[in-house]
Amino acid sequence: MTGRVLPFKGRPLSSEAGIQAAERVLATPLEERLQKVRALHLEDPETLLALCGILRERMTSAPASVLEEAEFLYRFIESPKREIGLFDERDYFLGEAALIAGGACRYLSRREEAWVWFDRAEAGFRHTMNAPSELSRLAFQKLAERFEERQLDLVIELLPSLVESFQKLGMPEDALKCRFLEGLAHVEKDEPSAAVSVFNQICSEAEKRGLDRLLAESYVNLVHAHGMCGEAEAAIEASRRAIPILRGLDDRIALAKTHWGLGILLRETGHPAEAIDSYRKAQEDFEALGMRADIAALNLVVADLLLEEDKSVEALREISEALPVIAELKMAPEGMAALSLVRESVRRQEVNRQALRELHGYFQELQN
Amino acid sequence: MEKPVPYRSGEVEGVFSRTLDVIHSALVSYYRLTPDEATGAEEDLLVWFQRLSRRGGAGQMPIKLLRISLLSAACQYGRSFQLWKLGGEQSGDRELNELLAREPDEVAGDLERRFEEERS
Repeated sequence: MTGRVLPFKGRPLSSEAGIQAAERVLATPLEERLQKVRALHLEDPETLLALCGILRERMTSAPASVLEEAEFLYRFIESPKREIGLFDERDYFLGEAALIAGGACRYLSRREEAWVWFDRAEAGFRHTMNAPSELSRLAFQKLAERFEERQLDLVIELLPSLVESFQKLGMPEDALKCRFLEGLAHVEKDEPSAAVSVFNQICSEAEKRGLDRLLAESYVNLVHAHGMCGEAEAAIEASRRAIPILRGLDDRIALAKTHWGLGILLRETGHPAEAIDSYRKAQEDFEALGMRADIAALNLVVADLLLEEDKSVEALREISEALPVIAELKMAPEGMAALSLVRESVRRQEVNRQALRELHGYFQELQN
Repeated sequence: MEKPVPYRSGEVEGVFSRTLDVIHSALVSYYRLTPDEATGAEEDLLVWFQRLSRRGGAGQMPIKLLRISLLSAACQYGRSFQLWKLGGEQSGDRELNELLAREPDEVAGDLERRFEEERS
């Protein structure tokens, strides 16, 4: 007798073969995969590990397809109950697939679904051998979601504990990621100078550690924060640094946000037509990514600018496009009063500009 | 925003081989596996540990901080295997029964302390 209590079905893959197998899985249509489980090595932990890595990488370039893939992966592992790998690996992969799906939902503003996926992730990770590190990553995603739901006080209250967890676990990069939320909270509180200071610190640390994605996304936030301060040169410089890195990473979400940030800057510096062009570019990028909430938020920002130019008919059109999406995605839970006022004013064909500003103020700065 | 998990092969095998004596003695002396059974278990533990080091979260941690998870896995393995061998019966070995009654994580904590003491 040997101690091998959980033998593999067939020869296990090497990590390199796992990456190739994962690519073959992704190239196979979803509906054909269940017939090809063995040929695709879909139950091999190396394939699953590589699949999770690829999906995490693609999160910011194709969140809608990442969600579809992660959901497939979760359902595949979950039911019928499959024996996957050794010890806790099945639970880990369930947790990881759910965490990826939840993260994609967060990008797509599918809030209720995101929470369900986060609960599933917790159920998986709870049974793993190294639960604290995976649960801390989940806690970060939950805080980011709460941030987007504008529960700022709770985010600020819970951030230090999460930073401490990451530090204890020897995960300083993840601790650094938490500072993102801190910077964004400053933006939300209309404290752009404080935000600039936080994002500059993140940039410097990320550069030191060679963390390209973190670095580029910090530059994007600097574009935004400098734009809010009306600091044109600094904002343009930050975008100049961000764009090549983002292109290299194929981070389309952050590229869209860069256009958004430049739009804010152009508006602040008195170039409304150019600002609208920049917002439109951001909307085109978001359209390709399926990020409807961001498109709707920008519709309101553009409407406000159009009103400034006395183009109320065009402004009404923008608002009319945005309102159903805002209601459907429950984007402004604390802005319901403003939403009602805007809706009513649209019905009367005379925009209530104060309500409009209040409404888009709820999410125009929510860029992460 | 997440970065890919780097492959840290040499480092992983290094930590594993430095911990192997403790694992082996836990499996053989504590959980009463035969040397052959323990060797089979150790092969699986190495494969598992290599993959643990490439997970989303654990993959970002310093490898040596993952050692406690390795010891935990070894103890869970030893306990499950011995319980399976006993087929639901009590062993005639009192020490083994006492060990099997303890949580594997707790035993792993003791092993980790022993490892640290031997190193210092």
